[in-house]
Amino acid sequence: MSDRSAPWLAIARYEAAGRARGSVVLTGLLSGFLLLFLAFFPSMSSAGIDLDAYVESFPPAFQEAFGIISISTIEGFLAVEFYQFAWLLLVGLYLAYLSGGTIAGDVASGRMDLTLSAPVARRDVVFGRFLGLVPLVVLLNAVLPIVAYVGVLAVGETIAVERLVAVHALAVPYHLCCVAIGIAVSTLVSRAGIAQRVALGGLFALFMFESLAASSEYDRAGSISPTAHYDPSAILVNAEYDVVGAAVLLAATAALVLLAVLRFRRADLAG
Amino acid sequence: MPAIECRSLTKYYGDVRGIEDVSFTVADGEVFGFLGPNGAGKTTAIRTLLGFLSPTSGGATLLGHDATNPGESRAARERIGYLPGDPGLDEDRTAEAFLDHQAALRGSGSREALVERFGLDESRRIGDLSRGNRQKVALVAAFMHDPDLLLLDEPTSGLDPLLQEEFAALVRERVDDGASVLLSSHVLGEVAALCDRVGVLREGRLAAVETVEDLRSRGGKQVRVRVAEDAARDAFEVRGAMNLRVGDTVSFTWTGEYDALIDLLDRFTVRDLEVVDAPLEEAFMTFYDGDVPGPGRRHQGRTGGGDRGAEQAAPAADADADGGER
Repeated sequence: MSDRSAPWLAIARYEAAGRARGSVVLTGLLSGFLLLFLAFFPSMSSAGIDLDAYVESFPPAFQEAFGIISISTIEGFLAVEFYQFAWLLLVGLYLAYLSGGTIAGDVASGRMDLTLSAPVARRDVVFGRFLGLVPLVVLLNAVLPIVAYVGVLAVGETIAVERLVAVHALAVPYHLCCVAIGIAVSTLVSRAGIAQRVALGGLFALFMFESLAASSEYDRAGSISPTAHYDPSAILVNAEYDVVGAAVLLAATAALVLLAVLRFRRADLAG
Repeated sequence: MPAIECRSLTKYYGDVRGIEDVSFTVADGEVFGFLGPNGAGKTTAIRTLLGFLSPTSGGATLLGHDATNPGESRAARERIGYLPGDPGLDEDRTAEAFLDHQAALRGSGSREALVERFGLDESRRIGDLSRGNRQKVALVAAFMHDPDLLLLDEPTSGLDPLLQEEFAALVRERVDDGASVLLSSHVLGEVAALCDRVGVLREGRLAAVETVEDLRSRGGKQVRVRVAEDAARDAFEVRGAMNLRVGDTVSFTWTGEYDALIDLLDRFTVRDLEVVDAPLEEAFMTFYDGDVPGPGRRHQGRTGGGDRGAEQAAPAADADADGGER
């Protein structure tokens, strides 16, 4: 029939449409958050305090956790105050939390029964639910660099466009990986509320582990955390673009979605 | 080719029995009823047929496709409509958006006609709809692609009597067009009105399969008679008369032949006489020990959550309790 499209695409579209308003609101809130921090920068940098000396006195694990390289330049300031906190942690955790509720939530509410009573394969549901969150990731990483650039100009500073673009382009694989963690957990844990908390808590635990491991002799163990492969400070302050890290994140994303497909294909919908 | 062929279908949830050794066939064009109290296994059977649950043992075919094979099950679902009694719908989407989505998944030849027929306002948010209107949304989704096989699980539990009638008419039309139906209910009247045959489920097992006619004839006749004479109770205490009540009118359930009834009444001057089919509940109760809740007391003890929770025992109860957190 002519009005039918591929099931995974139909599911992705429907989910994305359902999130459209929330996505716009979230983008607006984060833009506001970014502009608020940028507004603080002129008064901070003109206060005559050696902020770099101040942050260098922080414990190494703390510096690692918040990606502190330099805080006195606009790049360093943005990296520490916004990207390391909002983009790496806040958005990452939120995406894992959102996607953690998708499949488990549908099964528990009986929505999955209606979806799967149509000629839809289980893998279509997993792909569709994953792809349904991609527009949110893309929207965030398309709008925020523009907001950041305009904001930086507005406070009378300049920033390398290339670094700003890179910090968002390389955020996409990281954010997709966060979504994939949630999707995978959503097929492993049958209760939506638990799945959301496991996805969020799991990602946060990985972040903590990576931060601590980085300043110990086991620093390589930290690379199991997705947060190890996206470093906004390195990108913004040192113009180091970790393309290998991005590839690792994309591979992990694919593996997690595949795990979700394999897991969900066999699962009883015991809502 | 039968529409449904169920062979020793068994589903356990861990140690808890959902259904066990359920075998039946629904012929092409037949309306088959699943009857049983909440928790008897009706929903488990239907959800296993649809591939939502994988059977512990046994198998089934739907429209000639192996229901336990994901690919074949999907092919069968092209032509299946499924309507649960308490459908999971997106509260925060409009009926239109939801039906658009369902149409994208399964096609929608009859959507407009159904929306008009049931008077559904598609522009409203599903969460703002009444239970009956929510059920209409699911009903349109189940029927809009003109399916050849309908799996209806307590389909009218949220509908008012007028809509139940309209729903029954719709099912009959689909059957006239060649569709086959598996309908589950704990309300005997609903099953009797629509079905050709009835399978009685009891504690996960199929206790009996009978035609509705047989079931009805076994239930006997409800007789109400008013006679000119003073009717003595013992005059009616004969073989074949049950549930005797003697007052201004005499009423009893007659399980014998008509001739014997006429002989019995011949002794009196009959002023008024009514002979109707006894409620099917009475015949139906013979499949149970008489103390099973559900069919005989139809509107009691249902809290509106459907019977899935009861049928799926402990793990499902956990999931339900968590439902509010989403």
